[in-house]
Amino acid sequence: MKPWRQPGFWIPLLLILVGGGVALVVRKDTLREMTFTLLMYVALASSLNILMGYTGYVNFGHIVFFGLGGYTGFYFISRHGWHLVPAALVGGLTSALLAALLGLAVLRLRGAYFALATIGINEAARAFVNNFRPFGGPTGLFVNFAIYREYGGAPQALWLTYTLLLITTLVAVAVSYTVKNSRFGLGLLAIREDEDAAMVMGVRTPRAKTIAYVISAFFPGIIGTLFFFKNGNVEPGDAFRLHMSIEVLVMIMLGGNGTILGPVLGAAAYERLRGYLLTSPLFKSLHLAFAGLALLLIVLFIPAGLVGWLRRRFPVLRRWLE
Amino acid sequence: MKRVPIALTLLLMVALVVGCARPTPTPTPPPPKPTVAPTVAAPAMEASTPTPVVRKAVIGFTASQTGKLNVESTRQINGLTLWMEQVNAAGGLKLADGSVVLFEAKFYDDESNKDRVQELYTRLINEDKADFLISPYSSGLADAAAVIAEQYGKIMITTGAASDSTYKKGYTLVYQTYTPASRYLTGAFDLLGALDAAVKKVAIIHETDKFSTDVCNAAKAYGEGKGYEIVLFEGYDSGTADFAPFINKIPAGTEAIMGGGHFADGSTFARQLYEKGVSVKFIALLVAPPEPKFAELGDAALGIIGPSQWEPQAKYSPEAAQAAGLEWYGPTVEEFVSAYKAKFNEDPSYHSAGGYAAGLILQKAIEAAGSLETDKVKAALDAMAIMTFFGAIKFDTSAEAHGLQIAHQMVYIQWQKDAAGNLVKQVVWPAEAQSAQPLYPLSR
Repeated sequence: MKPWRQPGFWIPLLLILVGGGVALVVRKDTLREMTFTLLMYVALASSLNILMGYTGYVNFGHIVFFGLGGYTGFYFISRHGWHLVPAALVGGLTSALLAALLGLAVLRLRGAYFALATIGINEAARAFVNNFRPFGGPTGLFVNFAIYREYGGAPQALWLTYTLLLITTLVAVAVSYTVKNSRFGLGLLAIREDEDAAMVMGVRTPRAKTIAYVISAFFPGIIGTLFFFKNGNVEPGDAFRLHMSIEVLVMIMLGGNGTILGPVLGAAAYERLRGYLLTSPLFKSLHLAFAGLALLLIVLFIPAGLVGWLRRRFPVLRRWLE
Repeated sequence: MKRVPIALTLLLMVALVVGCARPTPTPTPPPPKPTVAPTVAAPAMEASTPTPVVRKAVIGFTASQTGKLNVESTRQINGLTLWMEQVNAAGGLKLADGSVVLFEAKFYDDESNKDRVQELYTRLINEDKADFLISPYSSGLADAAAVIAEQYGKIMITTGAASDSTYKKGYTLVYQTYTPASRYLTGAFDLLGALDAAVKKVAIIHETDKFSTDVCNAAKAYGEGKGYEIVLFEGYDSGTADFAPFINKIPAGTEAIMGGGHFADGSTFARQLYEKGVSVKFIALLVAPPEPKFAELGDAALGIIGPSQWEPQAKYSPEAAQAAGLEWYGPTVEEFVSAYKAKFNEDPSYHSAGGYAAGLILQKAIEAAGSLETDKVKAALDAMAIMTFFGAIKFDTSAEAHGLQIAHQMVYIQWQKDAAGNLVKQVVWPAEAQSAQPLYPLSR
């Protein structure tokens, strides 16, 4: 089955390409900044979905890979003068490697125990970086403004960062589709339904879960490097924000856990909603409370999220909404 | 029946998503607009006197109207608003070529969130056409905004941002109003030296966040350079509520304690030092002591010293400026305090004073440049050496730390008792700003 013949494959990619491409075509800086945040969340949600959506393992520590990968990539840019592209790749690979090591240990845990362990990993990573001298300890790292000259000036550097993020987002969604529609993906879905049964049927669950964890961790590492490069600095407080993990989780649940289009729509909807809540006089300062309420409502009434519900309610849409 | 709640939930979600599908962020209505038009449409009969050319300067900034930095940021913006209103009410800023500059504010809520700051400053520059920028409150947010200012070639005056690192990134258009973090506690060593040359043993216990770590690392280096022995240098995690392990580690014979972090931990630390009867001659802590709420500690607050960017008691004056060989600019401390009190019905904090001072610096630079052009105003800022009600202002012009504040000094406050036995804040250092003699040594 050729994926590009499937509407479920190209609809999410087209949405991202059009949504993200507008800023590139009109070259408006304000639009680029708005879309950057949006794309970042789409890519984070889609990558988390590879683990959480397909295997059913709820991961509160996704942002660890964003933080540590970002720190590593940024370290090579600021201390060793690397170009953004190789640095971002190294950031991604570091996150993937870390996931491989962590996965061997924590993926043996199931359910609530796994979720709790991932919270612990987030705090441990923050404390580690806070005391790790090469990463600047609590002070963090920063780049000199002159570094942007290598990229032809600050505006070009920002457009390059944006373009790289758009590509990363497209790749993350494409990988998410490929995983889901592969034999390996079927194994993951089997784990989600019944891990013991999957083992009996011949799925090598520890290995499959770890590979899913590694793929899921690769993208946040790249995104972290791009984000911190754009910011010009990185500090422990910004790199390991637990609530960011929770927000990404809400985005997946809102759009549809385990679907391809779900995290894309969920991230876009939540980001817009957040923008509205934060500036609305009635709801300001309450956006996290609202996120909690939304999560509660979704889990109670539509656990499959928007896309999942639509697929179930209108079977005709299944071909289109993957 | 099962479909009803599902449909309801979906409807709710769709309604909310649709509800928010309007351009974000919503611009906050700007403060009272200066009346530009009437000046331009001057009556024909006055044609003999040339009508001054009126130019509008847009000042762009973000304010933390929501989120954890709301209180401090609001005070800062109050100060800035007061400055702008005063300048505009006085007919604007008159330049040497006879033209008049009126200021207009454009600002958004940054939600105390770094993610949004860059997006909003990009918008302020590109959509709102801001001529000059003022930083958000806090080093983290200001740092994020500074990159954007530099990227688009706009001058930014930072206030409420003490971190040194922002100015060591090769920026050329970012100027700092506050005393940098590296000098937050160095004055405490100077004060201690002036009070008692025999004291040598100092313990430093600080929060391990970026700000406090930077401050205490710099203070340690400074103290050691002055011949002090740092007998303990220990960090504690943000949110620490039990300081007993740290207090127990303070070696016998320690004569002074410095450190702290933010309000909650700093005041708890001061209280536990008192409860445990730690007997030292001198205690100086970051951030917490200048806060009025610190007095609620009662006797535990007595004698505690804390650095502050500015206090209403600080005695900066035209005479002090003359003595220091600097030009005096702007209102006196009393004028600022009374105008602020009249408008906002509260005493100005150093955040408010910093907001006003940022505007004042910009005003002086535009006046000296006689222009709104970035290059000319930048040259004026580089050459600036003035004293205001906020203290002295001069910027580093070296390539390594361009824009870093080098003249402004922290004032050190100490909680003392007045004649009626009430706790009051007094400025005890530097000598030219002193409002009372320091209470020394601590009687514990």
